[in-house]
Amino acid sequence: MSNTQKSWYEAGARERVAALVDRDSFVEFVGPERREISPHLAVFDLPVQFDDGIVVGAAAIDGTNVLVAAQEGRFMGGAFGEVHGAKLTGLLQAAKAMKRDVVIAFDTGGVRLQEANAGELAIAEIIRAIVQARMAGVRVVGLIGGRAGCYGGGGLIAGCCSTLIVSEQGRISVSGPEVIETNKGVEEFDSRDRAFVWRTMGGKQRMLIGGADAFVDDDVLAFRNAAIVALARPAVLDAKTLAAEQRRLQRRIARFGEAADATDIWATLGIDDPDSVPDMPADRFIALAAEHRESADDAR
Amino acid sequence: MRQWDTRKRVRAERIAAGASFADGKLIDVDRLVDFFEAVLRPGDRVCLEGDNQKQADLLAGALADMDPTRIHDLHMVQSGVVLPEHLDLFDKGIAKRLDFSYSGPQSARIAQMLFGGKIELGAVHTYLELFARYFVDLTPQVALIAAVSADRHGNLYTGPNTEDTPTVVEATSFGSGLVVAQVGEIVDTLPRVDIPGDQIHFVVDAKKPFYVEPLFTRDPAAMTETQILTAMIAIKGLYAPYGVRRLNHGIGFNTAAIELLLPTYGEKLGLKGKICTHWALNPHPTLIPAIEAGWVEQIHCFGSEVGMEDYLAARSDIFFTGPDGSLRSNRAFSQTAGLYACDMFIGSTLQIDLSGHSSTVTADRVAGFGGAPNMGSDARGRRHPSAPWLQAGAEADPDAHAALRRGRKLVVQIGETFGEGNAPLFVEKLGALELAEKLNLPLAPIMVYADDTTHIVTEEGIANLLLCRDKNEREHAIRGIAGFTEVGRGRDKAMVERLRERKVIQRPEDLGIDPLDANRNILAARSIKDLMLASGGLYRPPNRFRNW
Repeated sequence: MSNTQKSWYEAGARERVAALVDRDSFVEFVGPERREISPHLAVFDLPVQFDDGIVVGAAAIDGTNVLVAAQEGRFMGGAFGEVHGAKLTGLLQAAKAMKRDVVIAFDTGGVRLQEANAGELAIAEIIRAIVQARMAGVRVVGLIGGRAGCYGGGGLIAGCCSTLIVSEQGRISVSGPEVIETNKGVEEFDSRDRAFVWRTMGGKQRMLIGGADAFVDDDVLAFRNAAIVALARPAVLDAKTLAAEQRRLQRRIARFGEAADATDIWATLGIDDPDSVPDMPADRFIALAAEHRESADDAR
Repeated sequence: MRQWDTRKRVRAERIAAGASFADGKLIDVDRLVDFFEAVLRPGDRVCLEGDNQKQADLLAGALADMDPTRIHDLHMVQSGVVLPEHLDLFDKGIAKRLDFSYSGPQSARIAQMLFGGKIELGAVHTYLELFARYFVDLTPQVALIAAVSADRHGNLYTGPNTEDTPTVVEATSFGSGLVVAQVGEIVDTLPRVDIPGDQIHFVVDAKKPFYVEPLFTRDPAAMTETQILTAMIAIKGLYAPYGVRRLNHGIGFNTAAIELLLPTYGEKLGLKGKICTHWALNPHPTLIPAIEAGWVEQIHCFGSEVGMEDYLAARSDIFFTGPDGSLRSNRAFSQTAGLYACDMFIGSTLQIDLSGHSSTVTADRVAGFGGAPNMGSDARGRRHPSAPWLQAGAEADPDAHAALRRGRKLVVQIGETFGEGNAPLFVEKLGALELAEKLNLPLAPIMVYADDTTHIVTEEGIANLLLCRDKNEREHAIRGIAGFTEVGRGRDKAMVERLRERKVIQRPEDLGIDPLDANRNILAARSIKDLMLASGGLYRPPNRFRNW
């Protein structure tokens, strides 16, 4: 990390929003002063947060008016609860009504266990709101590079976005490493082998298999610049897109379904020295990915 | 007439008994258990090599597979009780008595077994103390050790993780005991000879490296702002005014934060070259940025650290390396260096009481000591002067004749007022004391005694115990930096303010430190990957620490 860079991974939700949008353009909706706290956590004697772990509002990015959401991974692992989910659902419904593109900075372990029913319902509502917004021509751009990654229902929501931007640190999946190990055994998935976890779920792997659309260094400015590019892409969601996506996923499982490790997938993609991929700096990786990755562009 | 060579005769019998399971010195790995049952005798004093880092894991497993009706009542004398097999020996009745030093990962189970009477405890030692007893009254009859490789003569290469091996072999082999080594491979020519083959009686090829725990790797990503603040207070309030150049750091996040602040905060304070130049220290990855920035002149290591091997080999001006280029560590020498040649020990602990005793033992966990009590103690035999040592001595006893006054080693405990799981660092009664009562021990397992402790640092400030003149001042110096713990809230505010005027207590603001400056941006590295990059790719972090 050079001193001129500011780490996206290290930043909190509010720092990410501040770095992402044009200076002084952010107007928060349902801010902490409203104290819309979780109605469930007190039952478990757990601390609450006045924004319930998500910041939502309106802003401009490079002069374009957008709506923005950022999850706070340091509060309850950025997990979805009732209020947290409602704030994002509301933002997406507003996006459809206002015909404004949305940028979501994900940082979540999934649904909050202490308010699981409300959280699961919120996931469903958010997915519906994203699809409805996208059908109305709105872009929903997801940014993933935080500590908690993007897991559980967050992984499902990310899959519905029009563009996903990811850094090396960012992980995308539904079941987390510990969950897989608990259910399938340590021989199947050793959650303590972090290099293996990142090879399987991390930003580089997601980029190479078309699970993300853009790869950036762990730098807030790089995320902003990638968001600007994503917001200029065509916003199309129709039956043709979905059919192409389905074909792509079928092809992916046929090509890589038997691979035991991500390095096998990378070798299949024609990368000469797959073991060198994890240590590769961002600029070299981006060039390598451009040449070898499974493209998702026509399908999304 | 008395025979004067019974020990050597017994060893010859053991070698003869073992020979039928070996080809020369090389034991058949499939018959290792039979071999042990042949060479060992009930009641033997056995050193099974293992400390907080390296483990003779193959030998430990085979030892625990022996038939307890044949071999039983062993007296284990070993640095570390770390692997499950180390305690299985006692569960199965193969071993009975234990003298040890460190038991970090097995701290809960060893406590249960001590309560349940499964283990007859000799004593919990510091490393150096146990090594000393190997040469006096705990000389092993059999030592089971670990090396990287052996040649056909039994010469051993112990590599960067040499650690305890030379000491164990010296005591056992020259004390007429039997030495058995597990090695990762047999080679024609060793990179260097760490242990001469005539001290080694048998070798077994494990066909894989011995296990090493990366105990000294602290992930900068997990460092908190409170730890950073505490580190700033220590640097500006202790390292700078005493001019501490020769020192040892403990293993915790607080001292790792200090290491990461040297090239940034320390540089800003103009301290480069004035502090932290010479170390008795394991190769902490968090020290890489300071080394690269030219802060460090020399480091002697107790052991190595997983992933640091190439870096150490490439920095032989700083580290002790062999003719092959790789690190040579030696726990006994490094502990001696930490005791006699360092002016400061600083480490974290779990509990501190009102007089300043500290302990990592809680009522249901016996973690042992390792090396901290040795380095965290004043060396009464020290005779050479140094500025920090003399200054500390003068603070403790200003009225004594300067030329007749002992100096004092700076022994510093550092931590947040509430530690892991929000457990208070400060307590009225140590868990160690409860444990001693429960087990009827003559001594409570105290990590650092109050009369050795010179300073305590928390996020609320520094307590200088050298300046305390009586028991009451000491108690309030401690209460005065104990934050919102019960102990902290029991302070007499007026007394604490008086102590502050005398600089017995110094708050961050007294030192010109703004707590708001304590943020992660001032760390020289904020992730393991930053450390790897700072090393120019020479540091190869183990998989468990990677997030890429």
